[in-house]
Amino acid sequence: MLKIALLAVVNAIAVWAGTVLAADEKWVALGVLVAATLAIDLVYLWPRRAIPLKFLVPGTVFLLAFQIAPIVYNVNVGFTNWSTGHILTKSEAIAGIQENSLSQTADSRSFVMAPARDRDGELVLLLVDETDGKPYLGTRRGLQPLDEGVLRLGEFGTIEAARGYEVVRGAGLVQLDRELTAFTVPTEGGAIRPEGTEVALELAPTVRYSRLTDTFTRIEDGVVFRDNGRGSFVAADGTELEPGWRTNIGLANFESVLRDPLIREPFLRVFAWTFVFAFSIVLISFALGLFLAIVLNKPTLRFRRVYQVVLIVPYALPAFLAVLVWRGLLNDDFGVINGLLPWNVPWLFDPWWAKVSVIAVSVWLTVPYFLLVSLGALQSIPSELVEAARVDGGGGWAIFRRVTLPLLLIVVAPLMIASFALNFNNFVNIYLLTSGGPPAEDQSVAGATDILITYTYKLAFEAGKGNDFGLAAAVSIFIFLIVASISAIAFKRTGSLENIR
Amino acid sequence: MSIVDPALERVEPVPAARTRRRPPTPSLGGDWWRHLIALAACAVAVFPVVYVASAAFNADQSLGGASLIPRSVTLENFRELLAPDPAKSHLQSSTSHYLRWLGNSLLVAVTTSLLTVLLGALAAYAFSRFRFRGRRIGLLFLLLVQMFPQLLALVAIYLILLRTGEVFPSIGLDTKSGLILVYLGGVMGVNTWLLKGFFDTIPAELDESARVDGATPAQVFWGVVLPLALPILSVIGILSFVGTFNEFVLASAILQSNENFTLPLGLNGYIDKQYAEHWGPFAAGVLIAGVPIMVIFMSLQRFIVSGLTQGSVKG
Repeated sequence: MLKIALLAVVNAIAVWAGTVLAADEKWVALGVLVAATLAIDLVYLWPRRAIPLKFLVPGTVFLLAFQIAPIVYNVNVGFTNWSTGHILTKSEAIAGIQENSLSQTADSRSFVMAPARDRDGELVLLLVDETDGKPYLGTRRGLQPLDEGVLRLGEFGTIEAARGYEVVRGAGLVQLDRELTAFTVPTEGGAIRPEGTEVALELAPTVRYSRLTDTFTRIEDGVVFRDNGRGSFVAADGTELEPGWRTNIGLANFESVLRDPLIREPFLRVFAWTFVFAFSIVLISFALGLFLAIVLNKPTLRFRRVYQVVLIVPYALPAFLAVLVWRGLLNDDFGVINGLLPWNVPWLFDPWWAKVSVIAVSVWLTVPYFLLVSLGALQSIPSELVEAARVDGGGGWAIFRRVTLPLLLIVVAPLMIASFALNFNNFVNIYLLTSGGPPAEDQSVAGATDILITYTYKLAFEAGKGNDFGLAAAVSIFIFLIVASISAIAFKRTGSLENIR
Repeated sequence: MSIVDPALERVEPVPAARTRRRPPTPSLGGDWWRHLIALAACAVAVFPVVYVASAAFNADQSLGGASLIPRSVTLENFRELLAPDPAKSHLQSSTSHYLRWLGNSLLVAVTTSLLTVLLGALAAYAFSRFRFRGRRIGLLFLLLVQMFPQLLALVAIYLILLRTGEVFPSIGLDTKSGLILVYLGGVMGVNTWLLKGFFDTIPAELDESARVDGATPAQVFWGVVLPLALPILSVIGILSFVGTFNEFVLASAILQSNENFTLPLGLNGYIDKQYAEHWGPFAAGVLIAGVPIMVIFMSLQRFIVSGLTQGSVKG
């Protein structure tokens, strides 16, 4: 019964979503939706068959929609020029170019204007031609003449009132500002747009699009703008019409990562630093964690449990809180660390110190993990082995190096690889501590402490020049490849692929 | 979303060292250096926490005025954080919506972790108990998928939600439901293997006998397997809760307006601009959110060391 109820809910949502999609004319999405819903119904209504599927479907739906689909889509975006200035589709861009090109010409008409609401509450413009005094009504659909006498004009020719329309005034005008700026009345030769709140001007396009040749021609001098294949109309002298559109540009993003010096230099710098960052965290944390584990690994040590609990604190605290706290502690002027030190260290504002800081804070967060696993691993080493080595005359250091460490590494090495992979993409530690800064000298998006994932994030969402989704997706494909190689090594080492039962 | 990696070897749970040949000598004498090192390490480990606790109760709200021992104890910081003075707040660009952020975080994390457990358990049960075509491929596929954290597809997730939002605003950008859906996408890859491993240890004879008594697979799942797996399910639920609570990247790409922020986004913005001035209330916020999670995590420490989470590295 519960099953039927849940299915009904799923189908109801699907039907609702379907009508919305149909209304928006998103036919591909609608097709996917219908197919998916039918498949789900089939799986659950088929008695005594496809039982494993009944258990697998719920998770798989989310997996496909929000992990697999994004990965595939990400690869697609990596091959496009999707970025600020190239957001629209081509037909939207063509319309946009035409609209952008509208400007006043010598024989443009100008109008006395009053914004008003019609009976349905729609915004309209009441217009009076300044040269011949004829009244017009401007709507989003076009311009139409008004009968004489509908408008009542004031002393200085302003429009005071209109039969059947409510003229907007005073405070209402201020609120209307946004809507009015975007209001355009299409006409045969161009468009009429408000200039301020009392005047409207007729504008004409300065370029003309030809569907036949897929080019724009500038009307005054006949210069032709052609589709350059990278999402813009460009003239022979290199001038571009804005906006551009998003389109497939093949391997251009990947090429510019590898070839364009303005992108390659920061990319390589970030790439190298990401490895240094992740590697040093794992190495230092493991060394310190193991050292502390050896110190604590004596069953008779007093307060051993207390020490252990206290030492876990950095690991137990939510990482984002810890990092934000550290940002305060390391503050140049007011931070307590500089307060304790006899000299002032620019912890977060000098490129080198910032690197030291992000590694130090990450190590602080990671040591407890390696302390815990090292303690567990140390205790799993049979003490007979150590005893035997001692009987054979091995010194403390030799026993550690030849017996303890190799045995320990069998257990801990895979965890070190996992920790490396995690820190490789440790967004929070970098972003919340330094935001990737301080800015590097080469004026690029990448700061001194940016790692690949924060670099990707900045390219996509907060670059100074705007968002470059295409390039960001391409960079994240590079990260995919690196992570994949690391994983392949990990798989090989642990042989986990062989024992799928 | 705990980063759990079953591909990697287990750290087997180990009983405390059994061999105690020498009689215990509970004297500080020979161990003084161990205590010295341990104490130094403890000091480094708790220093920021102690400092924040002190700042939270300190009357001076600024970063510069903070000290290890509060000069005068007050609850003013908590009041400022939880109920910012409206008259004062409009002067500052960033005011605290702490309770709202915390509420958002709790809503997102609780929903995500509950559904995580459910979806993960369903899939793991299928992989553990049924033999079907495509099973091996499916398991292999999940193993590979979990190697690619969702945040690498960040750009695509953003664009997908952007375009979804044009048609269905309720799950588009800047919605909590959109964020939860995205989090759920990462569930199968991460938890299925872990749970499957545990389900494998529950004797199949239990299922068999229930089946003989006429139970359907669904009844076996809900009535037999789930109750037996409750301990591990709750651990996974809690780890997933903590992981989601901590998540920053996806949330910051998807959520845009202050009222929808989760706690990490909110607090980051809160102190970003006026670090020095907001230090006291911020410290109070760290205590309120941090201490409960710390206690939960401490209580799970046993599972973290043991094989349960298999190389889980908290993100």
